[in-house]
Amino acid sequence: MSKMKDKVKVKVRQVAFHYGGHQVLKGVNTDIFAHCITSISGPSGQGKSSFLTVLNRLWESMDGARASGQVTIDFGQGFEDIYDRKMSLPWLRQQVGTVFQVPNPLPMGIFKNICFPLKLAGEKNKDHMRCQVEQALKDAFLWDEVKDRLQKDARLLSGGQQQRLCIARALVLNPQILLLDEPTSSLDETSVAVIEDLLLSLKRQCTIIMVTHYADQVRRIADHRFVLSKMQLKQVGDE
Amino acid sequence: MKAGVQDRILAMFSWGCALVLVSGLAAVLGFLLVRGAPALSRELIFGSVAPLDALLLKRQVFYGIFPAVAGTVCLVVFSIGTALPVGLCAGIWLAEYAPRLLKQIFSLVVDILAGIPSIVVGLFGFSITIFLHHFLNNRVFPCLLISALALAFLVLPYIIKTTQTAMDSLPLALRLTAPSLGASRLENIVHVLVPAALPDLASGVILAIGRCAEDTAVIMLTGVVATAGIPKSIFSSYEALPFYIYYTASEYADASELVKAYGAALVLLLICAGLFGLAHLARVWVAHRARVRT
Repeated sequence: MSKMKDKVKVKVRQVAFHYGGHQVLKGVNTDIFAHCITSISGPSGQGKSSFLTVLNRLWESMDGARASGQVTIDFGQGFEDIYDRKMSLPWLRQQVGTVFQVPNPLPMGIFKNICFPLKLAGEKNKDHMRCQVEQALKDAFLWDEVKDRLQKDARLLSGGQQQRLCIARALVLNPQILLLDEPTSSLDETSVAVIEDLLLSLKRQCTIIMVTHYADQVRRIADHRFVLSKMQLKQVGDE
Repeated sequence: MKAGVQDRILAMFSWGCALVLVSGLAAVLGFLLVRGAPALSRELIFGSVAPLDALLLKRQVFYGIFPAVAGTVCLVVFSIGTALPVGLCAGIWLAEYAPRLLKQIFSLVVDILAGIPSIVVGLFGFSITIFLHHFLNNRVFPCLLISALALAFLVLPYIIKTTQTAMDSLPLALRLTAPSLGASRLENIVHVLVPAALPDLASGVILAIGRCAEDTAVIMLTGVVATAGIPKSIFSSYEALPFYIYYTASEYADASELVKAYGAALVLLLICAGLFGLAHLARVWVAHRARVRT
């Protein structure tokens, strides 16, 4: 595990980001290590969420956003430029999953929410899908709470359950990297503790990059800490 | 003036406005019920013909409003059937695909279109009919199809605008969810954005149904007549309730005919309520299907 922890997973070079004509990031350079939790904190409006969108090209779905620079990720066959024309965007986003600040279940049932990315990835075997959904819900510590009501509208779950559902939905495709944008900001203490435990258990299977405002949380779970300020990402010391 | 007093005045004013609206609706419905309810009978709709014979088209109805009811339902179905797919696609295109400048231009065009008086749309439909009669085929006359297309043109801006507004108002987090899972733009629209916007889209459709059912100016110039019987095809003349009400109310010979017009107005209101109910049920069914079907 320690060898894996020293392995660089993501290389970010000279990344700049503009949103609505306003520059948010400028010349950002950093390396992110595999199977670690990397936290990014800093004042509001400095571009932390924007930085996450650069890592899976999600900014391309946002009006008025523009990014430049180089991001390479080691998906197992050496570093690949994610902005290369040959890179498949759906495949990239399946490998680099995202969980947003506000839980955003899709307007459908719990089971269908988790199935959705599987269907997008071309999975057709219903038995296989059921197994994967169950595993993802178990990984997200949610299975026991929802196993009897999988067809119910996902929007009827509590805030903490919805966020774990979103994590399960991101996990169902076994992403190599998981991006979390303030995943606990709208949750109570109990839900925060559950999600932190979940993240600590997940770093065995993927690399986690998390934007958070909470210094306590950073101390509790982050392996590498960064602060984003004045358009630059700076490392502040390791655990 | 103290903030508490201002709050109370504003609250009273708001209550007053709501009360005026509800009272207006209640007054119209009450007036119609009082005047129209006595006329509601089998005879009003089917005349002297047995209902089953009329419904199975075995016998023509000459002294009832059944042909007008059938004409109105056909008109609404054809108009909405034409306007709905076009309006939904145009609204989705404006919200999701159109470049900013084109979006502004097209939004302005749709707003202008929404403001065109229905008589002008009727005249346009009539002119098109004359043009086609002269230059394409001299068997082209004002008919159900021309009326339905003209009405579709009239309600198109409502459907486009409500679709665009409903799609535009979806939160950014929801818009980004499916793309973050690897969905293409089309998959995002079909599986996430349209189902999420469905309640608002339905209100546009309901508005359009109401407009199609009640408009008289357009159909007066494009194919409706006082006596035509059940429409034989989309190329034939037809009767419609709004025109029947207008015609009877302006040309009535005695009080009993006027009462029939009130009765017909009540029937038109019930048809609209029925169509609204159907649209609502369709929305609930589609939303339920989207939620639970795996």
